[in-house]
Amino acid sequence: MPETIQRDSLIGKRITKLDAPEKASGKTRYIQDLDVQGQLYGKILRSSRVHAKIKRIDTSKAKALPGVHAVITAADVPYQRPIGVAKDHFPLKTDRVRSTRDEIAAVAAESEAIAEAALKLIEVEYEDLPILADPYDSLKPGAPLIHPEPHGASAKHDHLKQAQGIAYLGKPDNVAMTFDYAQGDVAAGERESDVVFEDTFTLHYVTHCCMGVSGIIAEFDSSGNLLLYSNTQVPFLHKREFAEILSMDPARIRIIQPPIGGGFGSKLDIYPFEPICVYLAKATGRPVKLVFTREEEFLASPTRQPVILTLRSGCKKDGTLTFRTVNTLHDNGAYTSWGATTPFVMMQTISSLYRVPHCLYHTKAVYTNNPYAGSFRGYGNLQATFAVEQHMDMMAEAIGMDPLDFRMKNAQDPGEVTPQGMHFKSCGLKECLTTAAEMSGYREKFKINLANRDKPGHIKRGIGMASMLHVGGGAKIYPSDGCGTILKMDDFGSVTLITGASEIGQGSETVLAQLVCEELGLPLSAVRVVNNDTEITPWDVGVHASRTTFIAGNSAIGAAKKARSKILAAAATQAGLNADDLDLRGSHIVEAKSGTVVMSLSKLLRQLHFNDKAELVMTSFYYEPPSRHQDKHFKGDVSAAYAWATQVVEVEVDTDTGIVKMLKVTGAHDVGRVLNRLGIEGQIEGGIVMGQGYALTEELMVENGIVRNPGFRDYKLVTAPEIPEMDVRFIETMDGEGPQGAKGVGEAPAICIAAATANAIHNATGVRIMALPFTPEKVYRALHAAKKEAA
Amino acid sequence: MTALDNYIAPTSLEQAVEQLQELGEVTILAGGTDLMPQANAGRVKFKRTLMNIRRIPELRGITREGDEIRIGALATISEIMTHPLIREYLPLLVTVGDHFASSQIRNAGTLGGNVCNASPAGDTLVPLLVLGASVELASMLDDKLFRRSMPLPEFFVGPGKTRLAPAELLAAVRIPVPPKGFVARFHKFGTRPALDISAISIGISGVLDKGTLSQVRVAFGAVGPTPVCGAATEEALEGKKLDAATIAAAAVAARDEVHPISDVRASDWYRKEMIHNMTKRILEDVSASH
Repeated sequence: MPETIQRDSLIGKRITKLDAPEKASGKTRYIQDLDVQGQLYGKILRSSRVHAKIKRIDTSKAKALPGVHAVITAADVPYQRPIGVAKDHFPLKTDRVRSTRDEIAAVAAESEAIAEAALKLIEVEYEDLPILADPYDSLKPGAPLIHPEPHGASAKHDHLKQAQGIAYLGKPDNVAMTFDYAQGDVAAGERESDVVFEDTFTLHYVTHCCMGVSGIIAEFDSSGNLLLYSNTQVPFLHKREFAEILSMDPARIRIIQPPIGGGFGSKLDIYPFEPICVYLAKATGRPVKLVFTREEEFLASPTRQPVILTLRSGCKKDGTLTFRTVNTLHDNGAYTSWGATTPFVMMQTISSLYRVPHCLYHTKAVYTNNPYAGSFRGYGNLQATFAVEQHMDMMAEAIGMDPLDFRMKNAQDPGEVTPQGMHFKSCGLKECLTTAAEMSGYREKFKINLANRDKPGHIKRGIGMASMLHVGGGAKIYPSDGCGTILKMDDFGSVTLITGASEIGQGSETVLAQLVCEELGLPLSAVRVVNNDTEITPWDVGVHASRTTFIAGNSAIGAAKKARSKILAAAATQAGLNADDLDLRGSHIVEAKSGTVVMSLSKLLRQLHFNDKAELVMTSFYYEPPSRHQDKHFKGDVSAAYAWATQVVEVEVDTDTGIVKMLKVTGAHDVGRVLNRLGIEGQIEGGIVMGQGYALTEELMVENGIVRNPGFRDYKLVTAPEIPEMDVRFIETMDGEGPQGAKGVGEAPAICIAAATANAIHNATGVRIMALPFTPEKVYRALHAAKKEAA
Repeated sequence: MTALDNYIAPTSLEQAVEQLQELGEVTILAGGTDLMPQANAGRVKFKRTLMNIRRIPELRGITREGDEIRIGALATISEIMTHPLIREYLPLLVTVGDHFASSQIRNAGTLGGNVCNASPAGDTLVPLLVLGASVELASMLDDKLFRRSMPLPEFFVGPGKTRLAPAELLAAVRIPVPPKGFVARFHKFGTRPALDISAISIGISGVLDKGTLSQVRVAFGAVGPTPVCGAATEEALEGKKLDAATIAAAAVAARDEVHPISDVRASDWYRKEMIHNMTKRILEDVSASH
């Protein structure tokens, strides 16, 4: 036993993720690798039409195929209830299909191949309806309705059904959701302005491309309890929602999450395949496994929200921002998922990234026959930042101010309470701006590139910057934004940390373990994390809003602090010392001042355990952040902390081809404090590459309701040789509410890249492109048009 | 479910073409890098018999036969890239391999497969055209193994369609040993540097003597139903001093003689623009480096 132990800390160190060895060696068992005794395989028949009435479905041939156990259509599940954010979506379509992803029938069979063959034997007769492929068309008077109210639906009985979530009665127009926000008086703001710009920005479809495709296994036991192996990011919300849509007692539903092969927001909603798999399990009395093909993943998992955003903004000659007016049109697709609610996040950037006295903001999500959007890392913020940060550069140019100085003049400071009600208790925006600019040599390069713009040669260099604001301390979206922790210690000084927070690859279990070790003076190897079973783990609101480190971290610290007090009190009694003078270090109880070892932790725990007043060290804690719901005017301090960043992108534009090569990304990120340096670097680098794909290469091409590139051949993810050099610095503002001072960072790194790239292309070529992505052809066309105009 | 009646793996060329003649309905498997994804996507239907030709020794190897380099149909892209004969006489094919799919695909995919797949964007086809390649086709004639040769430009009929007869097997690709002063360039133009299918591709070759090009061959990929030869561009270059005026004229000729379509990868207009700009860039590079 050592005589003295000095204080040591894991915080800020480079810690290998706890799940890395299993993942790197290919031993992790994802849902694809899980098999349940007696399971059948589920497959879904999707629509071959974009918009049509279903006249007839004949499943008799499919049912007759040997090895097929069930073929179901909407007629077989009269108990099905609508799902989704607006409860406008029946898992199996009843009378019509509204997009090519629409589910018409499903099969459970003894093998995937048999299920696949059975799908081909299902006959469907359609009657085509006019297609709405453009959200503008959906708003035209007399436009066909995507969810028409059924005839005679006015009966009270039907409305009662809708109120109970049994039916969806449709809408008299194609407007799915609207948001309106106002602060100050934009007309007054405009009168004070010396410069006003108005432009329309067009943001496209991209999709998450999780390495692990969607999947679920549904199994009923003999007592009618439902076990779901599910990749959900929000197990407790889903438990409740599954109970509602299946008319089940929530106590009878258990969700186990196998290791998840990527989420990025895509697993935040319930999609038709999940209840359909349950219907199949019910119909067959057997466990059913349903896993998407990659093509299906492209067609039937959600996208990032496409947005047409018109921004009008102004400033004074001295660089003071005066107002912003925003109108957006969100293509809602045929059904409403989380994409329709992205304006909630977008308005934060519009109103509060910089100080803007007057803001007016209207958004409309409208139904079309296109794919529908869900939640996706950044949640509308990439779209809003793309518009806002391009206008920042344009206004700076118009008043002859350096883009960095212009941003500095309007940047938020710590302590600010914005007109929208956000309170920035910690705020490193100005430090992010100056740090990223200095690290990248922004000012000098910006000027040099401008000077080289019109010189001969087809390679032009550009540099551009953008900043971002995002929630970093949870987000008050539900009545609670909390997370529970249970912590138990065994006889040997090891901890089992049972947390409500899900691991979806972001590294949360490692960070939570670190935080517990910090309180209890333990090595990382002494902690096991249990986080994937609703029967065991305490309640949590799920992985979203970059909340897990902050919320689950504070919760874990709370439970660990309780255990620490218990241990130190017991040690103090035994050793005849004062608990306040003791500390936990290196799995020992020590005197805090000198580090002199008093006793080993394991010995103390055994003594507590094996005596006549036996006590186990077990604690629980629930953390609810000090944030507030927005009021009905969308004002309020929704997050306990806010994250900030500035990213500078350097590009090379080949004017002969339109190819934009991303050379370097320099980032300065206010993360509160670095907890796991290796983990946070991975988050930032991964986010930058995701942002790069959004900016340059990725596009789900939807033409007349049909996805034209449902595969990695023509849906272009960034490949290794395209990844830029990255230079990232962390600004540690030590947030007062954060766990060890940390703030959330998961979404932040993807947000600025497209905006900064747009500014860099402009710096290189003088051409401003307001539609994404910057594919070679789009850039070449823009350069070509500019050349023609000049000539 | 794919209903395959029969799987065979002949061990000689003669046996293979005999079985081809006998069975008629046969799908050929070599590297499988085109066949399997196409079959899985439902674009290719397996015929009743699947013939694995990978055990046929006559289809392997890269050799010099007189004034020709013979590349066996089963030579993988990786083998071609590292073979001493190729590196000495046909370095263009090494460059081509470098832009061909990924390492895994290059290790499995064969030259014969790439030629028979006859994609207008097939990465080896444009280079083979400008190298003056011909194909060696094997079949049974009067109960004997028979081989015929066909210039590559005649071989391609349409996307995925060739002049290969039903009972015929592509045995090898033959390429003349290039003459002194031979220069050749290939440019694969896609939207990303790796794992891409070309939006367009261009191959240019010829003999450069004191700044003048002769015996010029030009070919384009992904601008029509097959890889195509660029007769007008060849004419614009043949016997001309490779100066700015010639290059400009050749680039215009190239743009004007291709008739691409619009698809998910590029519009027809952009393809024509890139044919122009990249032809110019290649020729400027040739001119600058000689």
